[in-house]
Amino acid sequence: MYIAGIDVGGTNTDAALIKDNEVVATGKVPTDHVNLVESTAAALETILGSYRGTEPLELHLSTTLSTNSIVEGRGDPALVLAVPGPGMRIEDLRLGFAVHQLSGSVDHRGREVAPIDREEVKAAMNAAREAGMEVLAVVGKFSHRNPSQELTIEALAREGDYRFRHITLGHRLSGRPNFPRRLATSYLNASVAGQQARFVEMVRRLMLEGRNIGKVYLLKADGGTMTLEDSLVRPVETILSGPAASLMGARALSNHQEGNAIIVDIGGTTTDMAVQAAGEPVFQPQGAEIAGHRTLVPALFVRSIGLGGDSEIRVLCRRENGQTSRQLVIGPKRAGIPAALGGSRPTPTDAAVVLGMTSVGDVHRARKAVAELAGALGIGVEETARKIIDGFVRQLVEAVEDIYQYLESRPVYTVSELLAPRDIRPRVLIGLGGPAQVFIPLAARAMGIDWEVLPYHEEANAIGAAASRPTAAVTYHADTALGVAAVPEMDYTGEIQKAMLFDIRKAREEARRWAIEKGKELGVLDPDDIAIVEEESFNVVRGFYTIGRIFTIRAQVRPQVRRIVPGAERGEPNAVQQS
Amino acid sequence: MQSSSRNKVGLVFFPAFDWCITPDHPEREERLLYTRDQIVEEGLLDVPGIEEFRPRVAEDVEISRAHVCVPSVGSVITQSHRIAAGGTMVAADLVLTGRVSRSFALLRPPGHHANRIVHGSRGFCTINNEAIMVEHVRRTYGSHLRIAIVDTDAHHADGTQDIFYNDPGILHISLHQDGRTLYPGTGFIHERGGPAAYGQTVNVPLPPGTGDEGVLYVIENLVLPILADFEPDLVINAAGQDNHYTDPLTNMQVTAQGYARLTELLSPDIVVLEGGYSIEGALPYVNAGLLLALAGLDYSAVREPDWSEEKVKQPPHISETIEKTVAQLWQMWRTRKDVDLERIFGHGPFFTRQRRIYYDTDNITEEQVEKIRLCPACSGWRVIQSGAARGWGVPLGRVTVIAAVLIPWHACEDCRREADEEFDRLQKSGRFRYVYLQDVERDIYKRV
Ligand SMILES: [Zn+2]
Ligand SMILES: [Zn+2]
Repeated sequence: MYIAGIDVGGTNTDAALIKDNEVVATGKVPTDHVNLVESTAAALETILGSYRGTEPLELHLSTTLSTNSIVEGRGDPALVLAVPGPGMRIEDLRLGFAVHQLSGSVDHRGREVAPIDREEVKAAMNAAREAGMEVLAVVGKFSHRNPSQELTIEALAREGDYRFRHITLGHRLSGRPNFPRRLATSYLNASVAGQQARFVEMVRRLMLEGRNIGKVYLLKADGGTMTLEDSLVRPVETILSGPAASLMGARALSNHQEGNAIIVDIGGTTTDMAVQAAGEPVFQPQGAEIAGHRTLVPALFVRSIGLGGDSEIRVLCRRENGQTSRQLVIGPKRAGIPAALGGSRPTPTDAAVVLGMTSVGDVHRARKAVAELAGALGIGVEETARKIIDGFVRQLVEAVEDIYQYLESRPVYTVSELLAPRDIRPRVLIGLGGPAQVFIPLAARAMGIDWEVLPYHEEANAIGAAASRPTAAVTYHADTALGVAAVPEMDYTGEIQKAMLFDIRKAREEARRWAIEKGKELGVLDPDDIAIVEEESFNVVRGFYTIGRIFTIRAQVRPQVRRIVPGAERGEPNAVQQS
Repeated sequence: MQSSSRNKVGLVFFPAFDWCITPDHPEREERLLYTRDQIVEEGLLDVPGIEEFRPRVAEDVEISRAHVCVPSVGSVITQSHRIAAGGTMVAADLVLTGRVSRSFALLRPPGHHANRIVHGSRGFCTINNEAIMVEHVRRTYGSHLRIAIVDTDAHHADGTQDIFYNDPGILHISLHQDGRTLYPGTGFIHERGGPAAYGQTVNVPLPPGTGDEGVLYVIENLVLPILADFEPDLVINAAGQDNHYTDPLTNMQVTAQGYARLTELLSPDIVVLEGGYSIEGALPYVNAGLLLALAGLDYSAVREPDWSEEKVKQPPHISETIEKTVAQLWQMWRTRKDVDLERIFGHGPFFTRQRRIYYDTDNITEEQVEKIRLCPACSGWRVIQSGAARGWGVPLGRVTVIAAVLIPWHACEDCRREADEEFDRLQKSGRFRYVYLQDVERDIYKRV
């Protein structure tokens, strides 16, 4: 079975072809922003020569188009209708986009407190259409508990002659709480919907041009895939798939699919880091931050630091007790290309060249650049180079430690979690990127763990796109005291029959059933791929009697990745070391 | 502190979703569920300037600085008590290290009914979070710090009062529903503190039916002037939320708006949750308003779903009663140093008080005799003899009799020597199951 992975980046479009579990071809073309079909097709052509199959090719696409249009403020102007009810004032949320507030309110258990004013809704829609707004987002506080007011507004929008091209309802995007994030997520979703529709149109044209392409999937920020059709409803989830693609590539190529690991992608300017715990990626606690907007979009936890092979190196003088000490600081700015490769200033890569740890470029040029720093420090060239390497490793290890300290200090709300925190500390350092072979073994030694350096770097994103599998999650909330249940992501609300008999087992069953349903839509057919990931259960006591229970259960299609081995076209196996 | 500027607020939130006294007790898993739902849905944890922190587990020694637990710390508390106390200390550290300008320990179980001697739980409390925090602060940041505790829970903070009642470094003000109408039945205006801190215990009993107007009147006309006079280095608000008009255990009329305004006026450095059992109708809104007020944000749109003006209106006769109480208490505060202490406490060498304390949560009755050394040079060492047994009035089981010798901060040489001698004497007497020594300054806590 063949899968093609294509990552449409800001500069380049990368492609990789995978046969079963092996990379059979990789390719690269410059991205043509004016004519995206052309450059995407060209990228595809670079690998199609190795395609020997007869069955249709499965295509996995990762694109930063939506991200770019948000960053550059090119999204469609959207009417955002909010039903905030009482609480924090929307004006104080600093959302960065305009919101039209409506009357109506729902409380924390999903009970309607105040109704929608239909005339008010219609007036807002009329005004927006006159102002030229063609897309609509509707978001209520606590709509994940009770979406009825959002649905009422949607019905009004469809009944009238408003002809919105796209309507986003907040509760469909996430079953998680956080009204401001739901607002931002819905706003972004509505404003990139047009762009996404054009992109999907392009992909369909690509498929029609005589190529044998079967299913098409898009990569999401959580490293999973979604269908082309789904991306029209939830385009916001494709945002930030860029960093996810490389990190999924690393996960796919690594020999360490199970257990705890830290994945470090060392580039020229920056180093991206992601965490794997018990064989699964760690996600952003609530959701991605996109161009300053905090959202509910599921995303891999990624930390970036300004440290890379091309980083600037400065000498910092510190005076203490009359003594001057000089210290090297690496990054966060870029110095330019390494001196060894024709640049003018010393970089960490040059230090590695001086010490013979890598053999890129001209060693004399590297020595000359490092010698300048050696002069300032009053020590030899080799010693300076060693100090640079040590400094780089120290900064990298500190950044990794910061990540774990941050993750381990995340709030927990139960005694058992506080007393017995989950062990997420890494047992292996998985590295990729040009400078990885130099720094990863040293950093791993400093951390006292194993290491592994992956043979692909620039193609890891396309390989990651090809290797990724569908992901999705549903939130099942049942309140037996009120006799209601909801799965916002599936647009379901219903009554609970025989509420007194409804227990945690029944709730788990229901959550699984909805997740299986969701999985089927994505082509995930094995129920073993469904897992319950969060679970809460409370007795509702009023007076001195238990009158019901509240369950919140989150079930998901397990975030998996196809195991990929480097193909014969590369030949190098993963470099590994047990420490 | 400027109220117009946004404050950096540290929130130590720990709802202990897996801990209860008993499954249908007001202090159960569900208590802060709806508060969590409201705070998260409002996005308050994303507000720049509001940062959430994890609590920690309090150690035995930290608890022993404020309490004498019988027979031992580990035997009377659970891990969640340690976390609540630890979280309260984290809240203090955040402010005192300058990491945030204010903090809020939004956690359970509460603690303000826990006395210095602890035989078990009373009023849902076992150990006193504020007291443990105060001792932690004095040990870590300086024993001369002057600390004010303003307890706005609907119940009299009898435990906190007991612990600090002879402590010259502490001002303890408790606003509460009149003790004649509510547990624990104490907190009258004549309870004013021990010989070394006379007048620094201020009790403000409020008539049932008191609303925002009355509570805010007390804050503006009594609490703030007293604070201005006392000039504390640190103001702690023990923020019970059971004055709310929907609370099932009390008869007060305060609203979320009232609580937020109270917080704004008081501008405490550290807020610690105490009681509050209207878990759906009050806590989500009170806590949202309180957090906004602490952060210096607009809380005017926070409103309970069932709020109406008639429901929370305070009758005029209540306002009159409160005004009279405030006038009297202000007069008492101003003249506290003119009082002839010998007339109240005698001329020594000891002042003795005798009490019976009932632990409603655990059904334990304790009889206490406390002797305070009236010392002209320091606040005086103390000895407490305490006997406790299960049952109310008639002991149901064995009576455990203990004695505890307490040496206060800044004790004089004579008091130290006398206290050490007393500790030896009590040990040798053989009359007590255990004899304890609590010496906060030397940080020595012994049980023999
Ligand atoms: Zn209370
Ligand atoms: Zn003395």
